[in-house]
Amino acid sequence: MTRSLAVTLNALGLYGIALVLTAAFAAQLWLGELPCPLCLLQRFAFALLAIGPILNVRFGPRPSHYALSLLAAAVGATVATRQILLHVMPGDPGFGSALLGYHYYTWAFIGFVAAIILIAAILLFDRQFTDEETKPMPVGAFAQVAVWLVIGLTALNVVSTLLECGFGACPDNPVEYELLKRAR
Amino acid sequence: MEFTALLLAVTVVMLVAWRGSRTLALALFAATLAASVVTYLHHATDVLKLSF
Repeated sequence: MTRSLAVTLNALGLYGIALVLTAAFAAQLWLGELPCPLCLLQRFAFALLAIGPILNVRFGPRPSHYALSLLAAAVGATVATRQILLHVMPGDPGFGSALLGYHYYTWAFIGFVAAIILIAAILLFDRQFTDEETKPMPVGAFAQVAVWLVIGLTALNVVSTLLECGFGACPDNPVEYELLKRAR
Repeated sequence: MEFTALLLAVTVVMLVAWRGSRTLALALFAATLAASVVTYLHHATDVLKLSF
């Protein structure tokens, strides 16, 4: 695998993360399902997952950049597992609505595990690491759009979370935007 | 509030990774990851209703 192909795959990974963050927003805005604290931590972990690909796109692929994403995916999978176990008992309806039979935290767990497997697979190709230097390199429009898309969606999550939780602790089962409620 | 702060922190790390120094981005990533683990442990207090 060449360095440029690895960069393209990393940009595709960023588009994948953008898709996940967009789907989470869609559920929040159209279905009116506000994210719980563990849900917010999973969104955060998806955003954290993007740091490795951003560094790979800017400085070229390095094993250390992939390691960052593996750590983020491990944290995300842990949080998602915790939420799955909270609702694993028979008769428990789970938190929020289901998509194709699985709740969002189950999809999140599948997403984090898929990320770990994909990163491990891409790490198998040593030729992408031939250039030892880690200096910024020219970035194409495809990758630039991917990076700004993820940064923009994460910034929107900051605003949304501030509106939802206000300046206090986020409720376990949020039903309305705390900051908007105070403004009324 | 802590989740807003975490998401703001990861946005800053992304911007540093994209525009700033690589070393600073790695250091900020480590700090943000540690903060997220602490936040998770703070919230994971409910007893899991499991029996094996």
